[in-house]
Amino acid sequence: MIEVNGAIKRFDGFTALDGASVTVPAGSVYGLVGPNGAGKSTLIRCLTGIYRTDGGTVEIGGEDVWENAALKARVGVIPDDWYYFSQSTIRDMCRFYRGFYPNFSMERYEKLKEVFGIDERRAIRRLSKGMQKQAAFWLVLSCMPDYLILDEPVDGLDPVMRRQVWSLVMGDVSQRGTTVLVSSHNLRELEDVCDHVGIMDHGKVLLERSLAQLQDNMVKLQVVFQDGMAEVPEDLPVLHASKIGRIHTLIMRMNAQEATERLTAYHPLLVDAVPLTLEEIFIYELGGADYAVKDIVL
Amino acid sequence: MRSKTSYFNATLFLKNLARFWPLWGGASFIGALFPLAMLSELLRRGKVMIAETALEMTNGYYSVLCGVVPIVCLLYAVLCALAVWSYLYNARSVGLTHILPIRREGLFVTNFLSGYAMVLIPFAVTGALCVLITAAFGLFEPAGVLVTILGVLGESFFYFSSATLAAFITGNVFAMPALYLLLHFLEAILDLLLSNFATGFIFGFSTDYTGFLEFLSPTVYLIRNVNSVSEYRPVSDYAGMYTRQELVSVHLENPWVIALYALAGAALLAFAFALYRRRQSERAGDVVAVGWMRPFFRYGLAGLAALLGGQLIYSLFWDDRYFKVVPLAVCMLVAGVIGYYAASMLLAKTLRVFRGSWRGLVLVAAGIVVVCGCLRLDLFRAADRVPEINQVQKVELYVDSNTYVFYPGEEDELLERVRALHAAIAADRDYIQAFDREARTAELDIAAPIHSYYATFTYTTRGGQTVRRSYQLPLTRERLGQSGTYDNLLDSLINSQEMRLKRLHASGDGYKPTGGSIYFNKRGEGCELSDREAAAILEAVTRDAQAGRWGHVDWLSTKAWNSGTYALQLSLEFSRESDQGWDWIDIAVRPEMTATTACLLELGLARNEDLVTQGELYPEEYEDAAYPAPAAEVVYPDTAFHAAVVTGVVG
Repeated sequence: MIEVNGAIKRFDGFTALDGASVTVPAGSVYGLVGPNGAGKSTLIRCLTGIYRTDGGTVEIGGEDVWENAALKARVGVIPDDWYYFSQSTIRDMCRFYRGFYPNFSMERYEKLKEVFGIDERRAIRRLSKGMQKQAAFWLVLSCMPDYLILDEPVDGLDPVMRRQVWSLVMGDVSQRGTTVLVSSHNLRELEDVCDHVGIMDHGKVLLERSLAQLQDNMVKLQVVFQDGMAEVPEDLPVLHASKIGRIHTLIMRMNAQEATERLTAYHPLLVDAVPLTLEEIFIYELGGADYAVKDIVL
Repeated sequence: MRSKTSYFNATLFLKNLARFWPLWGGASFIGALFPLAMLSELLRRGKVMIAETALEMTNGYYSVLCGVVPIVCLLYAVLCALAVWSYLYNARSVGLTHILPIRREGLFVTNFLSGYAMVLIPFAVTGALCVLITAAFGLFEPAGVLVTILGVLGESFFYFSSATLAAFITGNVFAMPALYLLLHFLEAILDLLLSNFATGFIFGFSTDYTGFLEFLSPTVYLIRNVNSVSEYRPVSDYAGMYTRQELVSVHLENPWVIALYALAGAALLAFAFALYRRRQSERAGDVVAVGWMRPFFRYGLAGLAALLGGQLIYSLFWDDRYFKVVPLAVCMLVAGVIGYYAASMLLAKTLRVFRGSWRGLVLVAAGIVVVCGCLRLDLFRAADRVPEINQVQKVELYVDSNTYVFYPGEEDELLERVRALHAAIAADRDYIQAFDREARTAELDIAAPIHSYYATFTYTTRGGQTVRRSYQLPLTRERLGQSGTYDNLLDSLINSQEMRLKRLHASGDGYKPTGGSIYFNKRGEGCELSDREAAAILEAVTRDAQAGRWGHVDWLSTKAWNSGTYALQLSLEFSRESDQGWDWIDIAVRPEMTATTACLLELGLARNEDLVTQGELYPEEYEDAAYPAPAAEVVYPDTAFHAAVVTGVVG
């Protein structure tokens, strides 16, 4: 279990984390989403022991992360800007990681060599950005981590390799019970792999739920009202409304059954509840938190 | 469960050595060239050109340890520190390093050891080659080698520790070496700047560098205080036909200084580790990575800029010996403000630092006003200070190209006269400063027969400190005859019989004539003097001095006086065994110096036709010189100074 409680981090007067709290259940895949500058990378740097928080607690498996070498040996991290020594090959970095991570598995390293198909003797700096990302996965997964913390992990990977990488990660989750925290802007992809989601903004986690709960908490309805009723009634708690022809599309913060019942009072000709995508939930949740939805749509 | 702390990680250690091998490999290669060159020399010419005995070899090791190792360590240690601590200066690399399952202690110890190993490898390669080569030629002396190894270990440890501290104070790859070098020479720079600054305020203050806290400039202190001391004895070869000096012992002077610096290195290292524990990774890229040090950097840079820049700007517009307070304060304020904003921009990593900065500017301005005010008012009465006899162990007076040394208990009466002269000069401050200003602006009344001379008083106190005051003294005929003026006191002191004999080292100060030279202008020939010839001439000059025929300084009639001296240059050299002291004197020989003239003729050094005066030999140059009438022209300070040097130590 990964648990962050009221984490605070300030940089020269700027508060990057303002009491952020995250709970990642053991063996789950947790997607951390949020607009640019929300504090996701800062939270991840606190979780991986790079930054020391100014307040709050950061624990993995019930232990404080800061200066906890034994715990860190069980945590695999792929930051958004993975660092390697400029002259190093993947093989050199493998030796380096082996020297630090006691669970590093050469057997797995050899197996992953076939998966990624990259020449391990090539200097990493000569590899493409996507191949460098693959190299990072290759090495970090060889460390046999119990916890995986990934910051924009598949950024730069081609669709096939994305699927391959996620397959490897999900394999670890199902076979070894690995707990994964992943930060990404690719919400469609997160929707496929995450079972829990937290939405961050302005250094806080606005909400965190399981994906099912999240989808159950908000509904998209397509409604056609009777003649003479051109506008959506004002007493309906609508987060967002749009209209194409006679069809109104309404986003409401309630479950589908309750929303349908509320609309039935207006005798609509048609009411159809459609599940929201994670991207839509993200946009409308942040719309309520003063994040300009129209900017995103544009 | 918390991990057991591991202080060393072999992977990281080897990775550092592997990553930065060009650094220590290149240094080792350069270092190895020297013993290989020595081997080549030994093979080609034998031991004569290198060292004939193991002791001479040890002397060579010590010389390298004292003069070369501090400078090599100073420069090379910072490169090694930059290599192993460079990960701190980049957000990506600091991220990777601090993600690794190793505590800060482990990172610190491992990186330090790998960096220190990189410092030592070139020394080890060079030293091992030296030892092998010298052993092969029978020049191996284990004690000397051991002392050298310990010295290198101590010095390199100190330098690498200080570079490590600089690495943890800064967060930027360019700031680190700049800060390192600044810290190593800050004391010396400040000493020079402040001494020069005080010289412009305090009357007579003329110290360029006090060295008061020189130990804070380790390279300077090590080079000046740790020395190789050799003792030689004369050995006769070839049945006494040839005498050579044989090295009988060699030892290192003040080796404890290296030990103390090594201890200081340990303290710096502990401080660096304390900083690392508190260091914020997000400071990567900042000029100063330690929060509480940022104001020191900001105001320190402003202060340095004010001191250095202020004096530079001032010197562009004024060339007074003593500063005008208001213009100087304005110049310092301009330079200080530039320094303040430069520091603020470096700290903030932006050019937009002006908003809300008025408080800092007020502090800088206040500091400048306080410093200038304190010095202008001479709060510590430094200008009037004339140390008591019981406070000093030695007093030196330099005047008219002569340096006179006095020791309390031996020449107290003369010392009191020197002190009285100094006190009289200090009391006439306004008169002397007015002369100085007028001389610089050429506003002197050219009808006034004024000559000027430099005089320097140097007191070495019992505590080993040096108090030095220097003055440019205008002398007038009127004041020379006026009792109680410094002109009169100077004249009576320098022209006293005791001072004449002192000039010739004839007052029992331990100096013996060792040789000299003589040159005759008329025939254009000269020769070196043996010690016996020098002793005979000195004895003759002393007789002339005792009879009042040599040694009188006429302060106002230089050219006319020169016209009447013989056209020859006689110089005698002295040495003193007790402290290896050395001195020399140029003697102007005049027709009335009968004993000296006779001695020169008797020794066969001079012929009668050589004894022509300057006026006779160069009549066109001296046609306007009328001796002993007073000189009519004004001699400005620089002219007077050069004239004094050219005429040398004369009576």
